[in-house]
Amino acid sequence: MKRFLVYALGIFAIMSLSGCGYNTMQINEEAVKAAWGDVEATYQRRNDLIPNLVEVVKSYAKHEKETLQAVTEARGKVGSIQAGADIVNDPKAFSQFQEAQASIGNALSRLLVVVEQYPDLKANQNFRDLQVQLEGTENRINVARTRYNKAVQEFNTSIRIFPNSVTNSILLHLKPKEAFKAEAGAEKAPKVKF
Amino acid sequence: MSLDFGVQKHHCSIKKKSNRIFSAIPYSFLIFIFFVALWPCSFRLFNSEMDFLSRAYATEIPPLKGYINDYANMIPPTIRTKLTNELREFERTDSTQIVILTIPSLEGLTIEDYSIKVAEAWKIGKKGRDNGIILIIANQERKIRIEVGRGLEGKLTDLMAGRIIDLVVKPRFKRGDFSGGLVAGIAALIDATKGEFKTDDDRPSRTIESFSPFFTILLFGAVGLLILGNISPVLGGVAGAIGLPVTAYFVLEPSVFTLILLCILGLIMGIFLPFLFSGAGQGRGGMFFPRGGSFGSRGRGNDDFDSGGGFGGGGDFGGGGASGDW
Repeated sequence: MKRFLVYALGIFAIMSLSGCGYNTMQINEEAVKAAWGDVEATYQRRNDLIPNLVEVVKSYAKHEKETLQAVTEARGKVGSIQAGADIVNDPKAFSQFQEAQASIGNALSRLLVVVEQYPDLKANQNFRDLQVQLEGTENRINVARTRYNKAVQEFNTSIRIFPNSVTNSILLHLKPKEAFKAEAGAEKAPKVKF
Repeated sequence: MSLDFGVQKHHCSIKKKSNRIFSAIPYSFLIFIFFVALWPCSFRLFNSEMDFLSRAYATEIPPLKGYINDYANMIPPTIRTKLTNELREFERTDSTQIVILTIPSLEGLTIEDYSIKVAEAWKIGKKGRDNGIILIIANQERKIRIEVGRGLEGKLTDLMAGRIIDLVVKPRFKRGDFSGGLVAGIAALIDATKGEFKTDDDRPSRTIESFSPFFTILLFGAVGLLILGNISPVLGGVAGAIGLPVTAYFVLEPSVFTLILLCILGLIMGIFLPFLFSGAGQGRGGMFFPRGGSFGSRGRGNDDFDSGGGFGGGGDFGGGGASGDW
């Protein structure tokens, strides 16, 4: 009978590992990592476009040195932040990353507003191509961020609900991961000056 | 883990009351199993509830009807037939799926948000190749978008998609020539993605995927047949006549005709296989494996009817493509 109990406990231990969400949490964490990889790739894609864009704009809009410089500087700042899969566990690094990317976004949109004053530039096929690519990239960033946030939400839920929370506190010690927040100022409509 | 203690306490109380420990053990063990089995269940329930909630708030995506999903009534029947034939032919040769969707209104969403939702719901393209394209037209907002599956982003870049919209579709739409714009746009999309995938490419991988378990089972079955056939040829024949079609049914999903054929083949094999092995060793590789090969080709033939994987087979989209207006 004692042997029976040992067997029963053994079976229980194995079953409870899958029953208490051990695997679910691992799977969800991997999903978050994969989604983060996509986010980084899409941001990198934007970064790679910037030098070309700056080159083209420079040749037409010589007076917009400041705006161009702002873009280049913002891009440089992102390079100094070392991003990686670990960043999703570190709230401080994560918000730094988000801020840096947001400043690139702002600088770029300012540049695109300025460009409106140069009809020659707007008609330039090279510039139009870059603009299409930039739009596509921004859309990709959006999609990747939404999917990342979804993965994070799923992961965070899975480590908080019972009985996973017990398993996590005993075995895995996983921390909730950071999600993207709406960018500061995004809720305010941009002011248009004439 | 906390449940552990609860059940142990439960244990003790039973011990004190009746002293019949042994009968109590299986009983409490059953409770163990019951709760263990319930845990993942409750989690799944919770998840599906979440899914349901998030779906209830999402914009409604119209169901996928085929290559042409004309919810805004912009495409006349003749053009619809022409485009459907073209797109079907293209999928047959290249396995790439192109789908058109016209909607009356975006209902406040941007076309990019709407189109990624459609892409996520419809999953156009083959799983693993992600070779789907959705051409979306929002009538009221006068917006066009080409949503490109991940697998085609290399050939049909955002730039290319943007040019197709700007240079091919937009001018015709501006003149009110929707049919012309769609026909020319689809032709441009086909031109741009032609050759990126070939339908034949996925044949070998599909074959390996679906036939390796088949061969494993077939080998086991052959050994079983040999043993049974050695006992009595009739037993071997019957086992072969039942076993082969049943195996094929579960692994290959063949037609009734194929099943009957396999049944006869199994009967013959069940009777003669033992003779082959006991009589002449040279029949071994020569007889058995070509047979297996011929099942393979028959199974592949069946797949052609549903164009090798069905509609919306699980293609993944990452937001690639371009948008425009007219």
